[in-house]
Amino acid sequence: MSGVLGTDGDAHRPSDVLNALKRLGFGAVVSVPDGWLGKILVRIEHERTMRLVRATHEEEALAIACGLRLGGVRTALLVQNAGVLSMGAGMVSLAQRYQFPLLMLVSYRGTPDDAVFYHLPKGRATEPVFRGLGLSYACVDRHRPIGPQVEHAATFAEEASCPFALLLSREDIRW
Amino acid sequence: MVSVAATRPTRADYYRVLADNLPPQALVVTALGNASYLWAKLHEAPENFYFEDAMGLALPLSLGLAIAQPSRPVIVVEGDGGLLMHMGALVTVGAVNPANLTVLIIQNGVHAASGGQVLTNAALDLAQLARASGVALCENIDKPEALGDRLRGRAARNGAECLVLATEPDLETVRPPPTFDPLQSKHRLQSAIGAPRYVHTVFGGGKLA
Repeated sequence: MSGVLGTDGDAHRPSDVLNALKRLGFGAVVSVPDGWLGKILVRIEHERTMRLVRATHEEEALAIACGLRLGGVRTALLVQNAGVLSMGAGMVSLAQRYQFPLLMLVSYRGTPDDAVFYHLPKGRATEPVFRGLGLSYACVDRHRPIGPQVEHAATFAEEASCPFALLLSREDIRW
Repeated sequence: MVSVAATRPTRADYYRVLADNLPPQALVVTALGNASYLWAKLHEAPENFYFEDAMGLALPLSLGLAIAQPSRPVIVVEGDGGLLMHMGALVTVGAVNPANLTVLIIQNGVHAASGGQVLTNAALDLAQLARASGVALCENIDKPEALGDRLRGRAARNGAECLVLATEPDLETVRPPPTFDPLQSKHRLQSAIGAPRYVHTVFGGGKLA
């Protein structure tokens, strides 16, 4: 499943992402940072209602998130698309096989709007690999407010009992 | 380096001690292969979570479970091969350092679940590795009674514990009971601990309750 999620209105989009996570009752975020995610993670770290776990590798982060959800904590993964490319086995054999509903907020590097030469190979591979993994995802519509799109992605993950990846652009997530 | 020489206890020897000394309300996560099959055979319980594959991810999943359930002891049985595959998880355990997490490493020097291929380095001092990763309480163990002593002496702990169990390889696949069902173990554990469930939006939910 892929597509564009959202409705209308706008503000500081990273703030709206954080507020959506709080409003939806996310108790934990597991992350391996990149250049876009670094500052929002510091914000999350200072939230009273959320626990940030900094992992060393994205597949490890995925498993930590599964354990948190197993224990009853609504959990989001914040990683770069490179990290999703490197978590394939855990995605299919753990997160999807055991039907863990996880919201994945993924910085989408290597798109035409982020044409950094060393990110482009990841950008080209991202959506084909997601489809190959059977990973449900959507690309954020930057012309619509981000909060409802995060909520729709989180709801999809829960309703379908599976991970759902929301691919984010720089202005969505870089504080 | 540690000795991986001849006579070592079996996985079953350690598991019997573990079953006899499980702390109250403990949750037990077991890695793929005989780590899960044998534990299911010896101590099938709703508080168990069995891996059927996803090698190396039992430890990080257990870390998440320990964070989510801080009032329950969480015990994970990981293999030395699985640990080497995701060694970074040990660093994250050391950083978070949850006092309710006990990491048991079966050090048998081989990838037992895939046929017994020798590890890249079978004789690493894994307790020292765990200590260097920030896990304060670490010990190499080669006698089941020593595991029992550690499990009984749980009183005042202020961080995670890692016990490395020198173990004879077990290459013959153990037959778990017919009720063995790794996927079901997820739902069963969640019911056992009273974890909140998602209520579907058509039933007025849209959240965990």
